Amino acid sequence: MTLDLVAALREKGFEAEDRGDVVTVRLEPGKLEEAARLAVELGFDHLASVEGVDWPQDGVIEVIYHAESYEEELRGKLLELRVKVPRDDPRLPTLIEVWPNALFLERETWDLMGVVFEGHPELRRLLMPPDWEGPPPLRKDFKVKTEGVFVNVE
Amino acid sequence: MGVVGMLIRIALSPQFFGPIVFPGLLTVLVVLLSIIWVERKIAARVQMRVGPLYVLKPLGGAIQMLADGLRFFFQEFIIPESTDKLVFVAAPIVAMAFAILPFAFIPVAPKFIPYSVPYSMPVFLGLNTVIPLTILAMAWGSNNKFSIQGGIREAYMTMAYEAVLFIAAYAMALLYGTLDFAEMVDAQGIPGIILNPFSAAAFFVAMIMSAGKLPFDIVEGEQEIVAGPFTEYSGIAFGLTMGIGYVQLYGFTLAFTLMYLSGWNPVPAQLYSIYPALGGIMLFVKAYLLLMFIVFLRSVYGRYRLDQALRIGWRKLFPLSIIAVFFSILLRVIGIV
Amino acid sequence: MSSSVVTRRLLAKEGDESVYEVFIGPQHPASGHMRFIVRLQGDVIVSVDPDIGWVHRTMEKLAETKESIKAIPLLERMTIIDSQNVTIGYVRALEKLLGVEPPPRAKYLRTLLSEINRIASHLYGMGLAGIFVNHSTMFMWCFGDREVWIQLAEDLTGARLTHSYSVPGGVRRDLPQGFKEKALKAIRYMEKRLEDYYRIFFNNPQVRARYEGVGVLKKSDAKRLGIVGPNLRASGVKYDARLLGDYGVYDELDFEVPTMEEGDAMARLLLRGEEIKQSMNIIRQVLDKIPDGPIMAEKYMRLVPPKLREQALKEGRIKFPGIFANLKLPKGEAVARAEMGHGEIFYHVISDGTKKPYRVRVVTPAFRNVILFRFLPPGHRFMDFPPIYGSLDYFPPEADR
Repeated sequence: MTLDLVAALREKGFEAEDRGDVVTVRLEPGKLEEAARLAVELGFDHLASVEGVDWPQDGVIEVIYHAESYEEELRGKLLELRVKVPRDDPRLPTLIEVWPNALFLERETWDLMGVVFEGHPELRRLLMPPDWEGPPPLRKDFKVKTEGVFVNVE
Repeated sequence: MGVVGMLIRIALSPQFFGPIVFPGLLTVLVVLLSIIWVERKIAARVQMRVGPLYVLKPLGGAIQMLADGLRFFFQEFIIPESTDKLVFVAAPIVAMAFAILPFAFIPVAPKFIPYSVPYSMPVFLGLNTVIPLTILAMAWGSNNKFSIQGGIREAYMTMAYEAVLFIAAYAMALLYGTLDFAEMVDAQGIPGIILNPFSAAAFFVAMIMSAGKLPFDIVEGEQEIVAGPFTEYSGIAFGLTMGIGYVQLYGFTLAFTLMYLSGWNPVPAQLYSIYPALGGIMLFVKAYLLLMFIVFLRSVYGRYRLDQALRIGWRKLFPLSIIAVFFSILLRVIGIV
Repeated sequence: MSSSVVTRRLLAKEGDESVYEVFIGPQHPASGHMRFIVRLQGDVIVSVDPDIGWVHRTMEKLAETKESIKAIPLLERMTIIDSQNVTIGYVRALEKLLGVEPPPRAKYLRTLLSEINRIASHLYGMGLAGIFVNHSTMFMWCFGDREVWIQLAEDLTGARLTHSYSVPGGVRRDLPQGFKEKALKAIRYMEKRLEDYYRIFFNNPQVRARYEGVGVLKKSDAKRLGIVGPNLRASGVKYDARLLGDYGVYDELDFEVPTMEEGDAMARLLLRGEEIKQSMNIIRQVLDKIPDGPIMAEKYMRLVPPKLREQALKEGRIKFPGIFANLKLPKGEAVARAEMGHGEIFYHVISDGTKKPYRVRVVTPAFRNVILFRFLPPGHRFMDFPPIYGSLDYFPPEADR
């Protein structure tokens, strides 16, 4: 079955790699929607996660979609779509028409990672307070200020 | 003698004793303080808890409600800026007044009737119908979204139970051939609940709806509209709004006892000979037991939905009350009563 | 239903003047740490906008700043009522990165605590479902009986709620003496109580009236929206992350994953009752089958100084040397899924070869179920909103992370 998955993706021109738990497809942003529609056709009809990973040394943010399926033969695998977008202007098309449950996952990724999903109907603050300003908190240049464990005032 | 004797005579006269001492104001206060404690204790017993305990521990926290009441009394009564102040303040007071007023028309014991009118039953029910209006006024005066939601629910609930309440009661009036509570009691050789169970059932459910107790505490709907019409109230006004339902319920249980459970019979003759009002003890005991049963329902049921309550009112209780009317007519025709 | 119809239903509709907006929460008796903006037309809900994030604690960011093993006590704060199941996924991801497998006895112990936590979590959810229709008895009973399972977990792990029981390579403590008898007694008690629950709650006509036919989630929609946990299975999808065989010993045990076809709020409630029965069944089997042996992988036991190791073997509890917290995560990444009481939790851990994980992505079941607040209530009456909320077993701190 897993071989089929890789083969089926190859057939449509997507380079796929089976890594045990996940089948990874690395993509250009332009081909994302096509790949997502193919994933739905293959049975991965909802997302388990949308995440952004900040790689400041490369100047990119990697957006990773994990698609999941409840079918018995597919449930052991996750289909992983990986897209790299420039760090200073991260833009991607929204996938809520393909995967409806991307609605909150994309909103969260915009909120915490600053990736703009074009066409998303409500990019409002979700977890952060509505008046939040400053760098998206999950990026690496956002430093967490921690208080010392001990009181450092005599 | 003289002045003191006159005062005692006034105090012991039915016109004073009925509304002020028993079953009126003072008894209402005692019932109010005790029944909430009883309700919480019953619920606690069912729910594997202890319930109120620490206020007067030897008696199991029996004066918890007194403590709560005092706290309400000394708490600041906040009148929010945005309210209609006159309505906001007056409504709970009017509501409490109209909840207590009907007690003036409840006979206590044989030949011991505060205000003997031939229409005490409709007067009693009629005075109770004012309370929903005052609750509507509270909701409107509060100028709060939750309150207005609650007020509208109260209006709908009135639709559900009011017709049923009146028709069921008139079915009994038809059966006994009188509109007076005292004469109804005298007419009950067999208790009304056995004579016309349909009427009793409809009246019972409708009176729970009217008092807004579970499973029909829709108006307060804590989980979606905070406290309904009472959301903005604090201090003693909140205490009043909380008490209205219980006072109303107590009045209704007295009426229920008079109409269906043969009222004060059997009269303990010895107590009656000491002072006539003491002969009404059975009336109180029956009403209180009924009250305890109703507050026990809280441990068994949740809350019905508004439209379900309306459906129960119109599809089940209303036909039931109509059946009760015809059943009464039937009983009259074949001459059982 | 085509996906565009689904998405149209998901979007919050702004109100015009005929729409009455009610703000439920964040300070409100029933909402917990979140706010709903409910838009009503008359008594009918037009749309609900779940405004979450009131208890956002930046779990993902904080996990990046800590040594990998120290993130376990952090992450379990997401769902404190279910802390074994919420961290087992993270532990599994670390184990995959570190290339270590727990010994069989540790796997059994993990399964045992997972199921104890699951029962406690379901009781919590059922209790809330009771109080949402003002059924205080169900609320009190469930929360009272939850104490039984919490104490059982305390016996096993030493903590009532924050167990931090599973660590990479095994578990912290061995089974205490006399645990089996205690657990069996708890199961017998719970079986009796479940019958009481059916009598007073599940078969109560008032409860049936409020929950039946309310908030129906069709099978196809449930799949499409990626709903997880009992909410998914109540719609007839037989999916449970325990079936993946990735963690625990579920592939060696004989248990069923109950499903229901109705998909309404009542089905979601009843399913939790069924799952409690199955969990007790699993606990029984685990206690019967549990093998003897070490509770920590050999690889890590060697790190413990010989004297302490002897003591650990004797007492059945492991006190780790400081070096354990400084485990270097090999470069790479791992995903893990685990079934919590609320549903499937997803972890994705990326490591760049240092002591701290480079990125920890966690998608909690409650966060995945938030979408149902958009999808289910429109078209229902306002008074149906609390039962829908109650039936979803939604846990705000878990969704906010």
